[in-house]
Amino acid sequence: MLHSVKISREACQGCVNCIKVCPVEAIRVVDGEISIMGELCIDCGECLRSCHRQALGIEEDDWNRIKESSRVTLIPDPVFFSQFSHYNDPAQLVDVLQSLDFNLLIDELEEAFDLCSYASAQMISRTPASQLPLISSYCPSVLRLIQSRFPELLPRVVHVCSPLELAADLWRMRTNTTAPVTLLAPCSSKITMKREPQGREQSPIEQAVTVRRVARSIMASNVSPAPSHTPRERNGRWVQWARRGGEAKHIQAFSDKKLTMLAVSGMRNTLDVLQELELGRLRSVDFIECRICDTGCVGGIGTADSRFLANLRLNNMKTNWEITPKDLRRVEGLYAMDFWMVTKEFSPRPRLPLSDNVADAMVKLQQMKEIYSGLPHIDCGSCGRPSCQAMAEEIVRGHGSVTDCIFKLREGISSLANKIVTLSESQPQTLKRRGGSN
Amino acid sequence: MGAPVCLEYRIEGNDFMVAGAASNNIKNTLKMLGIASDICRRVAIITYESEINLVIHAGGGILQAIISEDHVDLVAKDEGPGIPDISKAMIEGYSTATEEAREMGFGAGMGLPNIKRNCDEFDIESTIGKGTTLKCVVYFPQN
Ligand code: SF4
Ligand code: SF4
Repeated sequence: MLHSVKISREACQGCVNCIKVCPVEAIRVVDGEISIMGELCIDCGECLRSCHRQALGIEEDDWNRIKESSRVTLIPDPVFFSQFSHYNDPAQLVDVLQSLDFNLLIDELEEAFDLCSYASAQMISRTPASQLPLISSYCPSVLRLIQSRFPELLPRVVHVCSPLELAADLWRMRTNTTAPVTLLAPCSSKITMKREPQGREQSPIEQAVTVRRVARSIMASNVSPAPSHTPRERNGRWVQWARRGGEAKHIQAFSDKKLTMLAVSGMRNTLDVLQELELGRLRSVDFIECRICDTGCVGGIGTADSRFLANLRLNNMKTNWEITPKDLRRVEGLYAMDFWMVTKEFSPRPRLPLSDNVADAMVKLQQMKEIYSGLPHIDCGSCGRPSCQAMAEEIVRGHGSVTDCIFKLREGISSLANKIVTLSESQPQTLKRRGGSN
Repeated sequence: MGAPVCLEYRIEGNDFMVAGAASNNIKNTLKMLGIASDICRRVAIITYESEINLVIHAGGGILQAIISEDHVDLVAKDEGPGIPDISKAMIEGYSTATEEAREMGFGAGMGLPNIKRNCDEFDIESTIGKGTTLKCVVYFPQN
């Protein structure tokens, strides 16, 4: 499994901050080398937030090179429009980008997000009550978390492709071009979406850079919108997906009846809501919108501005939630074309068991319990693993030894030292009689 | 046949905040053994509901999971007030939970029926004033 968190080995000082905060325990520092277990990492970026030495970063394409090519086609994540204090209208920003000769797929995005919301609303209304709530597939980290921790919930994930990818599909269908498309992504997670597509064979997006990089480069270029020109009116519904609850609102706009929806954000809330759902405790809910980042995508690790300010700006933005007959006709036409549906199942990715064979795994589990009981249970992280439990597990899996624990190492040294003392006190055979009492 | 793996947890009464830790632990252990995920989910539901029952009705107790190669035995034992009428307790929606528990969203009377639905064998014994012992078995299908 690919991931988009990049490690700089030179910068890493071997502190264990990242190991401790990783919610899926994917990081190890063994033999002085930090590594991320690709099959566990969900690209949430928590580790990046905890690293004070920039040893962890986001693996993105080279914006300086991309922007040099002629007429670059961009798919900006909704978050992008919340990052500038001086362009308070998204349409204005679109003008600015166009004056810089970027081709923005704004019309396509508007349609793609409407399409996704419409498709989700349809799916909710067709699902029998016993199989509700459905879960959003929008945040790729949430999807990965479900695949590995809550595989039982996979059938509840809406089978709709990412609207960001659908915008690219639409553009290609209409223009028949093969020119590359670049995603402005708010996080490592959406960059991974391009590198390892879910629900489809291939991503229509070729390149991905962070919103932070592009927003800063535009701010540095100092262009302002032409004052005379009035930008085109836009409904702005899709831009609200950057905040918690934006998706839920958009789906509601396309639904005939009042839906019961939960919108949660942040790692802890996401884990809790999924766990409650798994335990069958969320009856009478229709839809759950989950975002790994606090306050939604505006809290993404690859954004440029404060998530609080960005949230505020979006809150103040004019949004038209009313679906006109024209909007509806357009979205129904797109819906009938079917291309929005996932073509490849979201597959479970459970953790490897201790062994393929239950009896064997049970023996290993007993060994693990014994090893664990000998460890100090303080989860200090100095063995390079996130917890004593994880250490015990690695030992039985054959990836470490008990002396990786510094307390065990000290115990070993002290017992060795005691042995040396005892040995040093014993006398050579030839002297024994002289020293002895008889 | 190897020796069964025995997991045991002491559940404190009225401690709503930590309820769920033991069932989570049991679920993760089963996953580590490579048990199918739908079985893990059923066991998680049984143990979670039992845990909640121990917390709200019984003033705490012991939760045990004894894992063998082809099944798991689950036991929830308490020395609480006991259940006066088990057949009533088995009716969905019937509950004797305290006001406080209900305010927190627990005690909707779904616990025991939910447990029964998710296990293969179910047995409950209760004596007024002495306590309750709940025993369940879930089989692992041969793959
Ligand atoms: S991105 Fe998240 S899951 Fe991946 S290593 Fe970092 S903290 Fe862990
Ligand atoms: S919440 Fe949004 S920004 Fe955060 S990881 Fe998910 S998709 Fe990315």
